[in-house]
Amino acid sequence: MLRQLLNPMSVTAVKTGSNDFALEFVRWRRKPRWLPVAKSKVFRVPERKKQTEEERIELMRLHNQYKTQLRSVRQYLREEVIRHQETSTADHIVLTPEQEEAEFQRCLEVNAEWNAKIAGEREVRLAKERDEKVAYVQERLEAGKLREEERRERADERIRFEIEQSKTFVTRANLDEAIEAALANPVDHNFAIDLAGNLYRGRGTQSLNN
Amino acid sequence: MSQKVIKYIGRTTDFRGNTLWELVGNLPDWGVGRMLIRNMFQRYPEPCYMRILKVSAVDEKPNEERKVRVTVEKTWRGVTQPKPVEIYSTSYKADYELVPKEEEHKFLNNKKQVAEVILPTKIEFPPLLREYIRDETGESNPQMKVHFKKTFNKQARLAQPNEQPTLQVSMDLGKPKPVSAKLYEGVL
Repeated sequence: MLRQLLNPMSVTAVKTGSNDFALEFVRWRRKPRWLPVAKSKVFRVPERKKQTEEERIELMRLHNQYKTQLRSVRQYLREEVIRHQETSTADHIVLTPEQEEAEFQRCLEVNAEWNAKIAGEREVRLAKERDEKVAYVQERLEAGKLREEERRERADERIRFEIEQSKTFVTRANLDEAIEAALANPVDHNFAIDLAGNLYRGRGTQSLNN
Repeated sequence: MSQKVIKYIGRTTDFRGNTLWELVGNLPDWGVGRMLIRNMFQRYPEPCYMRILKVSAVDEKPNEERKVRVTVEKTWRGVTQPKPVEIYSTSYKADYELVPKEEEHKFLNNKKQVAEVILPTKIEFPPLLREYIRDETGESNPQMKVHFKKTFNKQARLAQPNEQPTLQVSMDLGKPKPVSAKLYEGVL
């Protein structure tokens, strides 16, 4: 019962936190932990030692005694720290209400001064930014206008070229003429080349004689 | 032919009984309402038993004893816990036993309780801290409060004013109980 009283393990672990940060370095003299059990020890059954009753009772009593002592001291120190924090003026200055009010007013004034200074700087900066923005937009607008003019110029050029081209188009009106002209002037794209690089047009060999 | 004697080889265990799934999985309605005991706790003279309130099965994992989630009303050393307790992480232990219904009265009629312990309210300081406090306050014998946290199943309590504590707490080894006094023969 008393053991239960004094030994809620989870509370102890949280309060002392002893295992997580207490690093212990091991230099392996014999078998490192990650090697398997030695062949000669595989079937060894370790002996389970029995505690005698008086030993068990005495150890439990010592454990309870120790835990009570330790927790009492911890509790005392914890309460001492809290008491010290509440009563001590070591880390802050104690002021009367009037002094506090005056201090607050002074802080307000300093704050207002800072605000005014920063507001002036902000005005200047914003005006400058506004001018820059206007200049930038103007520049972009002009550049856009120029771009538009160039585009229109290119389009006109293209249209003029197409109109020029349309004079030679085959239409329904001159279709017959175009067919007759094509039949009257057959084009032969075949040619041959000799070793010297001379070109002989036409499929027949007449061109040799020409 | 002589009788065959089975000789067990290997590590021994103090557990006796079955895992919780082996018991609960075979019972109608998962054994809700039945009484369970942990054999490990039968070392206490006070009654330790549990009554099953709810069972929910958990999938079997390969190469592990099957666990099960069981909510029980737990009585430990004669004190029934006010809230139901869930057994899950310890359900694999082969230490549970089902109490036959006709034997439940053995546990229910066992009215033994743990003897009450009355703790003193004050304890002296450890030597060095005591010297510091003496220097600071000028008190000749400063004392501090004994740490005590109240829980529902504690039979120990702090002494009331004008009450004699049954347990002496001091800042040294203390006195061994008469049973174990012989451990200190020739030492103290």
